[in-house]
Amino acid sequence: MSSIEASEDAPVPEPRTYGHLVPATPRELKGMIRDWRRGRATKNLVEAIQDAYVVVIGALMIGAMIINVILNAQRFVASCTSVSCLSARTVLPWAAFAGAVAVALSVSRLFGPVLASAAEGFWLLDAPISRAKLLGLRLVAAVLAALAGGAVIGAVVSALTGSGSTEVLIWSAATALSAAAAVAFAAAQQGIDRHLLSRIFTYLFGLLAVAALMLVVGVAANWIRLDFAGELGSQLGLIMIGFSGAVLVASFVLARLRLRQIHRARLLSGGALVSGLSGAFFALDIGLARDIVVARRAIEIGQVNPVRGRGLGLGAIIWREWQRLRRFPQPLLLVAGTIVVPYAADALGMGSLSSVFAALALFGATIPLLGGLRVLTRSKGLVRCLPFSVAQIKLASIAIPATVVVIWTISVAPAFAGFRGTTVQRSLSEAVLMATATGSAGLLAAIRWTQAKGVDFGAPMIATQAGAFPPGLLTNLFRGFDVALLVTAPILLGVSPFWSLVLAAIVAAILLNSMDAESMRARQAEQQKMLQEQRKQREAAKAASQQRKR
Amino acid sequence: MAKRTTILKASGLRRAFGSNTIFDKFNLEVRTGEAIALTGRNGAGKSTLLRCLVGADRPDDGTVEVCGNPMRETSAEIRRDVATVIDDLDFFPDLSVVEHLDLLARAHGISEPDELVDEVLEEVQLVAQSGQLPGTLSSGQRRRLALATAFVRPRKLLILDEPEQRLDTEGVTWLSGRLRSERQSGLAIVFASHEPALVERVATRVVELGAPRG
Repeated sequence: MSSIEASEDAPVPEPRTYGHLVPATPRELKGMIRDWRRGRATKNLVEAIQDAYVVVIGALMIGAMIINVILNAQRFVASCTSVSCLSARTVLPWAAFAGAVAVALSVSRLFGPVLASAAEGFWLLDAPISRAKLLGLRLVAAVLAALAGGAVIGAVVSALTGSGSTEVLIWSAATALSAAAAVAFAAAQQGIDRHLLSRIFTYLFGLLAVAALMLVVGVAANWIRLDFAGELGSQLGLIMIGFSGAVLVASFVLARLRLRQIHRARLLSGGALVSGLSGAFFALDIGLARDIVVARRAIEIGQVNPVRGRGLGLGAIIWREWQRLRRFPQPLLLVAGTIVVPYAADALGMGSLSSVFAALALFGATIPLLGGLRVLTRSKGLVRCLPFSVAQIKLASIAIPATVVVIWTISVAPAFAGFRGTTVQRSLSEAVLMATATGSAGLLAAIRWTQAKGVDFGAPMIATQAGAFPPGLLTNLFRGFDVALLVTAPILLGVSPFWSLVLAAIVAAILLNSMDAESMRARQAEQQKMLQEQRKQREAAKAASQQRKR
Repeated sequence: MAKRTTILKASGLRRAFGSNTIFDKFNLEVRTGEAIALTGRNGAGKSTLLRCLVGADRPDDGTVEVCGNPMRETSAEIRRDVATVIDDLDFFPDLSVVEHLDLLARAHGISEPDELVDEVLEEVQLVAQSGQLPGTLSSGQRRRLALATAFVRPRKLLILDEPEQRLDTEGVTWLSGRLRSERQSGLAIVFASHEPALVERVATRVVELGAPRG
């Protein structure tokens, strides 16, 4: 008989009984937590706002500037009455509508959408109280957030296409309700721990958004003829409002009912993701925030069918990049979606701005393609395993994304030629130069963003009125945007696109050089060490000769 | 038998953080077939010294040479010769366990790496996890994968920081056997460890850093 068996046979006391206990209600628990939090608060809301007045004023200023830009663009575009303008004005809000639903579903699947923190999971979800009552407000908050986000997206897109105020209101409401309905639907799915429908609808609406964008290109290029005269856009928007509203109500009721049986693990994983992301955003480390999301997705996927590699040396790295893209081709959809940007800008009579818009869109769309570069940049361990210079390794990991950008460049070249009679007509060579400069701007901006290191809070701080700032904190926010705007600036200013290419070449040289900056720093340090040693030797020799003289 | 050649030479190394000197005037020479174990209390400077030896950290003074060349972490030649497993190894989130090893072997020019990769996978007991993405591995499995990266590539010098960390008893026994055979096949090894059995079985010399244990 083992010692474990022996201890199992030993008599044990009866568990202690506590009599008939009535558990606290969720409201009582929440009230208690609120009291504790208030008791620990050292500032009230007004004092907190006073302390952060620089941030508040800054946010107000930037917000006012953005609204001003949108209103100006709206006025400018509204004056365009060509068929392409009218078509784009009608179709682009559809794309925004479908895109908002796809994004809402995707984000909902990622976070929950109903979630709870680890502390809540440990202290509250274990208690014998109704989860539906405890989490009801979370569901409402998630739906309201989607409602607000959808309203902004719908309003901005329809305003930028030059729609009138009624249409802006209709599409804002339609997009808001559809995004909220998507979140409520995902919550209803979360309640029974099934996500297949959410996943299918994400792809479906994503494809619809891309199809709507392609329709804009087709119309702008005169490949498709659409006549959207009259009130078709508004009528469609009103139908969407009705339909989305009905889906929202039905899904919300279902989700609320299913909150009772929601799984704790799913709630907590969303909470853990939020706490990780909030930490990254607190440090303004957007790259880290993205890493957290990518890692989370990889964990959800878990297993893949391994594929043996091909090629040797750097070729093996390039082949693996290609294989990774084939395995997870979703980012290509995003890049394909951005092809429409210069066409849409041209169709809306904003041909002069198309390069800037397209470069910024490509910048955002290319970042997911640079996952390999990101991994190699964020820590040295993996690079140290590979027998190549840092610049070689990073160039190899950029090869596939660069090829995708070349295809993008070829696809957008006709937009820059100004094929519509409404905008500036350019020669083919100039259009190709512009497209190349725009593609380079987007790719280089994404490379710069991807290589961003975390903010060094140990470095000397910069004194500002809002307190001390580490130098990288704010520059991290503008990383990438600076390159995209710098390279496209000559085009925006009406100078030859050749100068944009010159700037792109300079930026590329700096970025590629900075890839090997550590090697340069190491060499510099070695040289400094040698110089110091030589100086010491000279001083020692001088001292010895002086001693001899004495 | 071939003459033993010097693979790693550290001379007069000094590293300090502010007024706290971690090590000073540290000299070390490692030749082929030698295994140096760095021991000492937590905070004695083992990891810092290893980071200086692989170029991940820069010593305040002194030099490190690998095969007669000054150590530069970014030098492709040095990375070809030195396999390191220290705590900063990262993985591609979307490449499986076996694909990482395959990539590494091919990058080092091994044209038919399948057999070698399978062999190492079996040795580190990750065959069942070969299709898994690194994010789903346990900490012990990640450690095994990190160690595997050192064994699927050509190497002259192996630098390991507490390789026994997060390994179970069986894993530590395997590791000591593997490192011993690596040493016997002429590889130079420098490793930091808190595991007396591993040190005893693998090391030809033991260097204790910091104040001796009381």
